[in-house]
Amino acid sequence: MASTSQFLASLARLSISSAPRPAASSIPRFLAPSVTTQIRCASGGTAQMQARQREKEKLKKKRRQQRFKEYKYAVPSGKGEQFSLCDAMRYLRAAEVGRPPSSVTYEVALKVRTIKNGPVIRNRIRFPYPVKNDTRIGVICAEGSNAMHDARTGGAVAFGEQSMFDLIKANANNLPFNRLICHADSVSALNKAGLGRVLGPKGLMPSLKTNTITKSVKTMMHEMVGAETYREKIGVIRIPIGNIQFSPKQLSENVKTFIESIKADISRMEDRVDKDIIEVVLTSTNGPGFTLNGGFLPTDEKVDPAHLATAM
Amino acid sequence: MVNPGKRMNILKTKVALTRKRTILPPEISRLHMDFALRWNDGHMGPRKFWKTCLPRLKFWNPAVPMIINRSSNNAGPATLSIYFRQAAAAAAAPTTPAGSAPKVNFVTPLAQQPHSSTTNECPAPLPEEGERVVTIEMKHQHSDAILQEFLQKTGATVLQPSPDELNEMRQAEDLKDRAAIDRSIMKKYIDDKRAEERLLARAREEAEAIRLANQ
Repeated sequence: MASTSQFLASLARLSISSAPRPAASSIPRFLAPSVTTQIRCASGGTAQMQARQREKEKLKKKRRQQRFKEYKYAVPSGKGEQFSLCDAMRYLRAAEVGRPPSSVTYEVALKVRTIKNGPVIRNRIRFPYPVKNDTRIGVICAEGSNAMHDARTGGAVAFGEQSMFDLIKANANNLPFNRLICHADSVSALNKAGLGRVLGPKGLMPSLKTNTITKSVKTMMHEMVGAETYREKIGVIRIPIGNIQFSPKQLSENVKTFIESIKADISRMEDRVDKDIIEVVLTSTNGPGFTLNGGFLPTDEKVDPAHLATAM
Repeated sequence: MVNPGKRMNILKTKVALTRKRTILPPEISRLHMDFALRWNDGHMGPRKFWKTCLPRLKFWNPAVPMIINRSSNNAGPATLSIYFRQAAAAAAAPTTPAGSAPKVNFVTPLAQQPHSSTTNECPAPLPEEGERVVTIEMKHQHSDAILQEFLQKTGATVLQPSPDELNEMRQAEDLKDRAAIDRSIMKKYIDDKRAEERLLARAREEAEAIRLANQ
């Protein structure tokens, strides 16, 4: 008798998988005793099945939450005060009075509304008025090649192949350059030279990831001089945007260029990502942060924008 | 990014500091301070003057260059030099409403003008043609005394803040008081918690001692 009941049970399981499960009440119990056992099995099941079910539900819940996870304060509060560019500059210059101008910069923090697990904005930008121009470029390229000519005319401080490797090995702690780029044809020679130990810790090792290996030395050098890299970190992009002695006009041009570049970056991303700029905050090395309202002129009509560019 | 509310509070207290209007007369072309990097040997007063008073002066007189030249020589002097334009030069300058210095030095490029420094790069420059210099000895002086002397020697006008500004300043003060109260509440809570933990630890130690004695 036991064998038939087992057989019935397997039959019932088959029928359930193909057709909707019959309601327990519609079938008299005495006709199909195995069906009742089947129901108990589906609702309770073995411990393993229950665990699997729980796992599935957890996963579902997780997936649902992640879709909406954003960084804190991702929504404009609307409570804060906003300042025009000249007003913010006036306050910041007052905060930075007496500091050596070489050690003080204006900085911008751009708050972006974004999901936590999405792609981040990351790019390089050239400002119309470079913040600092102490970029000294070294170029690794085959001796006597076209690239070497480009490097020489472009103003590289050091170039060559074997001579460069010797130079780097000889004075590793006092390199004449602070950026190093490599021509695509010299990559194998560079890898053979084994300079990773010297250049790696300094962040100078050319690699595709840092976008420092190129086929055209000329354009790469042009891009690098006065260029700044930026990257979105926990929903904010921060970048130095000007020297403290910049005039409001210069600073506004830099800010405009930066925001246009960010907008272009966002539009270039796939369309399922939607990011938008929430807040632009101007600050300085030691000063507080002022949210910009997009205006330029100072509220105090006694102050001329030209007054905000005197020696510090 | 920082909590926007918190950031706004910090900003408001800092902005409130600039509310006491101190306007220099238009004859003043620039200021120069010379003192040491560290505070020993009477260099604390100038340092505090720089930190507490100078931002306010700079805010209300944005066009006046205020240069601070610091060095590591504590034995050296601490001087504040005020450069006055002579009457002729002041008259030649275009007249603008009081409160803004009329003439901005556009002649020499910015890179060649003296700038603030921490390595004694720009000592007080000699007065240009048609300029006269008044100096204040700041060594071993309190910053308030320096400010007093500065206001008297420059003839600066200190205007009373408007009701709105007064209100803002009061709000900043309130915030400070509120912060002190909150801090004391928090301190009491932490102290209580620590005391309780200490009591528990002692009780546990005693219990352990009794257990060991009984064995």
